[in-house]
Formats: sequence, C-alpha cells, structure tokens
Amino acid sequence: MTRYAALLLVAGALACHGKADAPLSAHGFVGAELAAPVSKPDLEFTDSRGKAFHFDSATADKVTLVFFGYTSCPDICPVHLANLAAVLDKMPDSVQTHVAVVFVTTDPARDTPAVIDQWVHGFDPNFIGLTASDSVITRAQHEMQLDPAIKGAVDAKGGYPVGHAAAVIAFTRDGKGRVAYLPGTRQRDWAHDLPLLVAYGK
Amino acid sequence: MGRGAWEPAPCPMPHAPWLLAMQWWCAATGFPWTWTWQWYPGVHLLLILLAFGWWRLGSAQHWVARPWGWFAVAWVTLLATLDWPIGKLGAGYLASIHTLQFLLLTLLVGPALLRSIPPEGWRALAPDGSATARFLRMMARPLPGLLAYTALVITTHFPAVVDSAMTSQLGSLSIDLAWLAAGLILWWPIAAPRGFVVLGVWGTIGYVFGATIGPTVPAMMMVFADWPIYQLYELAPRVWVHFTANQDMKLAGLGMKMFGDIPLWGVATYVFFSGNSMQGELVDG
Repeated sequence: MTRYAALLLVAGALACHGKADAPLSAHGFVGAELAAPVSKPDLEFTDSRGKAFHFDSATADKVTLVFFGYTSCPDICPVHLANLAAVLDKMPDSVQTHVAVVFVTTDPARDTPAVIDQWVHGFDPNFIGLTASDSVITRAQHEMQLDPAIKGAVDAKGGYPVGHAAAVIAFTRDGKGRVAYLPGTRQRDWAHDLPLLVAYGK
Repeated sequence: MGRGAWEPAPCPMPHAPWLLAMQWWCAATGFPWTWTWQWYPGVHLLLILLAFGWWRLGSAQHWVARPWGWFAVAWVTLLATLDWPIGKLGAGYLASIHTLQFLLLTLLVGPALLRSIPPEGWRALAPDGSATARFLRMMARPLPGLLAYTALVITTHFPAVVDSAMTSQLGSLSIDLAWLAAGLILWWPIAAPRGFVVLGVWGTIGYVFGATIGPTVPAMMMVFADWPIYQLYELAPRVWVHFTANQDMKLAGLGMKMFGDIPLWGVATYVFFSGNSMQGELVDG
C-alpha cells in the first residue's frame, strides 16, 4: 500500500511538473520571437485617468507587454491579463519594477477611460489602460505588425464583438518589440520568460 | 474575440452528420461562457435509461418497497451534476465546479444509488455462490475498495488526463462515469447489505480514514502549485471576468479537501459513537 501510494505521488508530481515544455526560441523564450524586431510606436494615447500618455517615453526602459483588446471581450482578453497579473504578483521586485503591462482598447466607442480604468485595475492596479482615436489605435497596431481590429455585426441589444489580434507583444527594455505571446500562453510560460525579457540586452 | 496575424490558421471543420456534430455530453469547447440554456441529449438519455433500468429491476425482483427517496436523490443529483449549467461549467470553464461534480458523484450519488436497491435486490442480483457475489464480497473488503477508489481519483485528476479528456465528449463522459464508479466503489464496503460486508467498527473508521488520503493528492497539488496545473481551466474563457484561474484552482483544491472529508468523517464519528459499523444500515434502512 505504501509503495503504491508513493508511486502515485511520484506520477502525480511528474504530471504536474511546472516547467514550460514548449520548444524555446533562439534566445530561450517560450514566446515566439519576431523575425525582425518592431519599434515602439511614437504615438500619444489617453490613459484610464484621462491623461495624455506618450507611449514611447512613458514606457522607456521597461519591458512593455502590449495587448490590444476590449473590455467586453469574452475570451482571450481577460485570460491574458489575469494570467499576467498572477505571474507578476509572484515575481521578485527586480522583475516587477521593470515590467509595464499596457492594454489598448480596440473599442474606444464603448471603452471610455472610466470603463477601462475599472476593468484593467480589476486585474492589477499597476496595469495601464489606454484609449485613443480609431486612427491612432489602427496606426499603433500597424506599427506593431498586427492586423487591425474589426468591429463585428451589431446584435439586437446593440452589442457587437470586436475581432482583434490575440497576441501580447513584448518590448524589451531597449524599446524593441521582440517576442509575441500567442493565445495558449500559460502562467508558467510567462514566469519563465519575464526574467529573460527584463535581462535581455542588459 | 481574439484573431490576428500571430495565430495559426484554424483547422477546417470536416463535414459531419448532424448526430455527430451535435453536443451530446458536456465537454470543453473553448467558446465564451453563456448563461443561455443548452441541451445535452446524452445526459438526459442516460438518466432516462437509469430510471427505466431501476424501475424494471424493481418489478422483475418484486421488491417489497421501492426506495424511492434514495433513487430520487441519486437521480436528481446526477441530473444537476451532469447537465447544464454545472456539467458545462465543470467540463470546460471552472476547476472548482469540476471538483463540485466530483464531490457530488462520489459522496452523494454513489451511496444514494447503492441505497436505491433494497437488500433483497442485492441478494437477487448476486445469489450466494455466484461470480457476482464473489466479486461484490471482494469489493466490500477494505483494501480492494481503497486501492480502486484511490487509483480512480488520482488518475482522473492528473493534469494530462484532465486536459486531454475534457476536450472531447467521450473523454468527458469517461471522467464522469469514472467518478460515479469511484463513488460506488468507495461506499460499497461501508453500505453493502449484510452478508457482503466484512468491516467492523474500527475497520470502518480505518477505511474511512484511508479514503480521505487519495483526494488529498490532487487537492494539495491545486492548493500549493505555483501556477494553475490544468491548462484547460487556466486558458478557458472566464465566467466572471475577475474570478481568475488561480483563485478557481485554489477554491477547487480547498473544496475537495474540506467538503470531501466531511461526509467521511461524519461516518467515522457516527460509527465511533454508536459502536456499530454501518454495514447494512444504509441498505437495510
């Protein structure tokens, strides 16, 4: 009985081994490295407090994780943000202080600064929520080589989905977007990559 | 709705007959959660067959009294556990609801189903000297019961098993049926009719203690793991936007341990203070 229980425990531990098991990129990331790094967009947004937010300068020397989505998104948006919040919470200060998570709405008509503020800070008070005009948001997506968001059909209640890029783009501290994190990125993947992103080029 | 250049192209859906394309059993789909009722014919079909089988068994065996109450408890709990919304939430959205299903199937449906067949029914099903009687007597011994129950509980909670099984209707059905079997196996040594059971007072207490060990393994993994152990629930669309996968997993682990042990410790306490094993009591009434 004891031997049997020990076997089960060992098997359970193996099945739950917490290391990222995806093949790593050239620089050891679980995320997908971009063939050519992209630059931070030199654009001005409005943050969730209603203040101007110059993307490039406001995130200087930070690993910046950018995600385009919308607050009524039913699937990937809350999953990405909740997983990032959970992982950052367990990271040492040396990592936390060098990471900025930026959510940019693709639905500025419904996502007012107040709505973004409540939604984004429900995940983590340090997360940054941004909005802007449609043209600025589209340009930002274009500069990050993301497909522009598309508004879906309006339903009977006036609601609509918004199709948008589902990847988080990670900019290293030198201001270059180098790694994309696709849907399916797990917390253990983030835990593996965040320290590498912070240390990249330093 | 996620979509973008970084994503792989979706797999083309092969043409399938409507019977195969239909959702018969609750399984993970990856679609956003909706509170709109959904029909799962497989669940209802199983429950109709179960009720029909129970009715036919009682008629064929000429039961003096049908244990309606116990059968109703088992049947209604099964319906609530497997059907929308609990079945759907547990299959693809929340680990805590998946655990609730486990608790209901093993701790309520299992003993209630055993109780829904009267002693004369069991004796007719397993006449003295038959292979069935030998099998039921063997399973009423503590070690086979404990080993089978523990193996089922731990195996069906392996992350690799859960993540792969719950994404198909057949896999999800298999997990549900395995938990139902685990409930029957767990309670048989305690609740079987006289003539099958070998456990005395201290044997029952020891058995019950042993039965609390198996679920402790997945429960502790969920509570103490740094990161969510089930990919399925970690990446599932959220039911409540700020109820995170981590909170869900901790709740599942705590619930499994806390609420899973209570009925078993209740049995141990009852047996200890009454000075009688429960053999036959659940079934004999």
